Amino acid sequence: MNSHKAMPGAVSRRYAHQTAKAMPGAVSRTMSIKTAKKICAEIFKITKGTQTEVIITSQESALTRFSDNIISQNISNTDTDISIRLVKNGKMSKVTFNQSSSSEIKKAAQNAFYLLKNQKKSGALGLLKPSGPIAEKENLFFKKTAEISPAFKALKIKNFAKKCKTAKQVCYGTMENGCIKTTVANNLGIHLSHKESHVTYDITVKDKDGFGWAGQSANNIASVDFDKIEKIAALKARLAKKPISIKTGKYTVILEPAAVADFLIFMNIFGFGGQPYTEGQSFISGKIGKKVLSDKISIYDNALDGPSAGMPFDFEGVPRKKLVLIEKGVAKTAAHDRKTSLKAKTKNTGHSLPVPNIYGPFPLNTLVSPGKTSVDDMIKQTSKGILITRFHYINILKPLNLELTGMTRNGTYLIENGKIKKSVKNMRFTESIVNALNNVVCVGDKTISMSSWWKTSVPALKIKNFNFSSSTEF
Amino acid sequence: MFNFCEKAIEIADRHKVDFGDIRIIKKREQNLSVKNGEIGNFNNSTTLGFGVRILLNGAWGFASSDILSIKEIEKTTLLAINIAKASSLLKNREVRLAKEPVYKDLWQTPFIIDPFEISIENKFNLLFKIDSILRKKSEIKASVSSMNFISEHQYHMTTEGSSIEQILLTSGAGYTATAILNNEVQVRSYPSTHGGQALSMGYELIESLKLLENAEKTRDEAIALLKAPQCPQGELDLIIGGNQLALQIHESVGHATELDRVLGYEESYAGSSFATMEKLGKFHYGSDIINLVADSTVPGGLATIGYDDDGVKAQRWDIVKNGILKGYMTNREFARNIKEKRSKGANRADGYNSIPITRISNLSLMPGKYDLDDLIKEVKNGIIMENNKSWSIDQRRLNFQFGCEIGWLIKNGKIKSMIKNPVYQGITPAFWNSCDGICNEKHWKLWGVSNCGKGQPAQTAMMSHGNSPSRFRKVKIGVKH
Repeated sequence: MNSHKAMPGAVSRRYAHQTAKAMPGAVSRTMSIKTAKKICAEIFKITKGTQTEVIITSQESALTRFSDNIISQNISNTDTDISIRLVKNGKMSKVTFNQSSSSEIKKAAQNAFYLLKNQKKSGALGLLKPSGPIAEKENLFFKKTAEISPAFKALKIKNFAKKCKTAKQVCYGTMENGCIKTTVANNLGIHLSHKESHVTYDITVKDKDGFGWAGQSANNIASVDFDKIEKIAALKARLAKKPISIKTGKYTVILEPAAVADFLIFMNIFGFGGQPYTEGQSFISGKIGKKVLSDKISIYDNALDGPSAGMPFDFEGVPRKKLVLIEKGVAKTAAHDRKTSLKAKTKNTGHSLPVPNIYGPFPLNTLVSPGKTSVDDMIKQTSKGILITRFHYINILKPLNLELTGMTRNGTYLIENGKIKKSVKNMRFTESIVNALNNVVCVGDKTISMSSWWKTSVPALKIKNFNFSSSTEF
Repeated sequence: MFNFCEKAIEIADRHKVDFGDIRIIKKREQNLSVKNGEIGNFNNSTTLGFGVRILLNGAWGFASSDILSIKEIEKTTLLAINIAKASSLLKNREVRLAKEPVYKDLWQTPFIIDPFEISIENKFNLLFKIDSILRKKSEIKASVSSMNFISEHQYHMTTEGSSIEQILLTSGAGYTATAILNNEVQVRSYPSTHGGQALSMGYELIESLKLLENAEKTRDEAIALLKAPQCPQGELDLIIGGNQLALQIHESVGHATELDRVLGYEESYAGSSFATMEKLGKFHYGSDIINLVADSTVPGGLATIGYDDDGVKAQRWDIVKNGILKGYMTNREFARNIKEKRSKGANRADGYNSIPITRISNLSLMPGKYDLDDLIKEVKNGIIMENNKSWSIDQRRLNFQFGCEIGWLIKNGKIKSMIKNPVYQGITPAFWNSCDGICNEKHWKLWGVSNCGKGQPAQTAMMSHGNSPSRFRKVKIGVKH
């Protein structure tokens, strides 16, 4: 199978330039960062004398959804959220609202004061002063990407649907674009803003009883190779026809990047989160400096630049830095905010989510370092194994060893003697990710950026003794 | 608010749309939680905005905004019209809506105590008291107790002439204790997992839950689980009820009978369904005693409404009757696909900024004839599982695997020892066909699901699933490693 040769990730600027000129853009309706700054000043004037934090997010999302070779849903949303958090003498209150008129701002601030007055002392930490310069190295906002028109998306999808019809295939998926602007400020001097655009092309192709998937997310439409994504999904679907049942049990698997990204999301929450770490619920709790995964695995978090770049500060206004989480299999640190770093007696790594929250800090911009083996070579070097495109509906069974369960989806293939032999009916895995990442045979030579709940950049992985506990009927 | 609505309808009419509607929604939400002796969450949010839906040239467009002014309504309505025009570039049929009478009505969730009138101090006092009981023993390393209240005031107007005002209220509360010892993590929750119990009620729900009274037992069971034996592996009889059976209904029947999924409209994300249309009226979904009823009118249900977001009046209908597949969750767009003249009213959005999509309504397993003792007495070798811990099901809703917080082995009709990490798995129709006993109405209770994700962009819906403990024969228990 050649599909892995054409995995999304390579940059094709040709198509994006054509489309940007050809189609009129939609006008962004988000709140400007300048307006957000004015609102912060207005709030701080009302709350003078009380420590006050304001977080404003204004976002726009326009999504065209298609199924059965037609557009089935087409939407455009604009939303702004403003939160005011007051802290005084160990007490805290928070209000959130979305109306930015002076009267609504005043009403919200008064409500925050009322709640603060009627609140018990609960050890709320005071707000932070600016703790150093913010390094925003990479531009992540592209106007043309934020303002792709509905007509452009419709025509693009129409073109793809036409190709599918000709090939007697059916397409499903989404093309989504938009932007998000975030302001984090307090009346102790922090005032930080960040904006980024985003585009995602995510498609599933059906070819009789075979399904194939491909997709890519990016900040800039110029980075999305639409043709390549379409070809991969179509090829995967064609090769997925007439799937066979195979016995459950342990197999060598080649996980394509989308499947690896699914695992990394669970590692971020339950493994690298500062809260599970300090509570003793993480696989790295008490194991900093010790080898916990295969030495082929290095994982880090980097919001500043590279394929997972994002907001260069956290929601308390702390600058983010590159953070090594796993280095050649050795646990280096969890991601911390002020609260968990105090508990763990370590440094605040700048990973706070909006305070207060019950989840604690997470790394939001993670990357797995690539290795040296192409997916082609992984297949060639496999006498018997399974190639997996992606997973579906994963959930956690045991947090300490990250035992997960989930189904394969949209492209699962049996490898025999170094070649793809057949398509395989979907199977359920039940496996500890800690065990799996100790059983890594080799790591893919290219990383692919995925953006689902947050940004990850991952290579393919070849893993031995991966456990499938049951199978399904298709 | 209806004067704002009229502007959108006026513009839609001027553009001769096939159908148009506007929903203005004012939402108030309060989330409080105590985590490990400190405030975990304390948020008071109010939002206001509107969404305009346009059907033009047989294709849909939707746009929303959080700026409520006549000018913005004009702009947003025109954007929705333009989006509908773009959608019409790629269609293979004209979308036509099933007919529905015109309504001018006000509907409100019945409640006794307005939760927003209860002081923050009282609410936090209760949560801190629970938390201190949960953390009284050193094995408990993490505790969370929470309350959530949502009030939604909706104004819905359509080009067909309907003007519907609805005031919806939900309340919820619950807690979890996590015990950790020697590389073992165990949790117990009360009254159920995933945030606790939630219903369309006022603060009277919180007062009825006996939260304080059950905190010690919950904590002690979490600790006892640390030393309990592992769940066995093999084919055993299974008894489930409460929020576990609610989730089983939700995942393996509710989503499988959403007609948009059946038609393939969710193929790229949430998935499709094995319960395809040719099976309607014929397919043995479950054994003869399985009766699953969808009901948007049941008191307390999280999906209990006066009207759905298509402007369709709330209804009650059969999904599975005497084991046979009898119906689907439908909206006005898809009802005609199963030759129904009228939608069942299951089209809902999670806010002003979301387009309505087909959703599971309140879906409940009707009670049977058993008392719980008798249900257990007839089990030689089995297991009772309680409170969902993990859930996963394939994209056609066939292969599922559920993990629960706690289990008890049954030997020769008697409950024996506690076990930890109970897991069961199966294939949907085989599982429901293995059901041979359902407890009676004395044991029947409505359980809220407040975190149902679906759609792109993702939307979260709430619904309830009533059930009483039920017995399933020869179920695959445990996981082969």
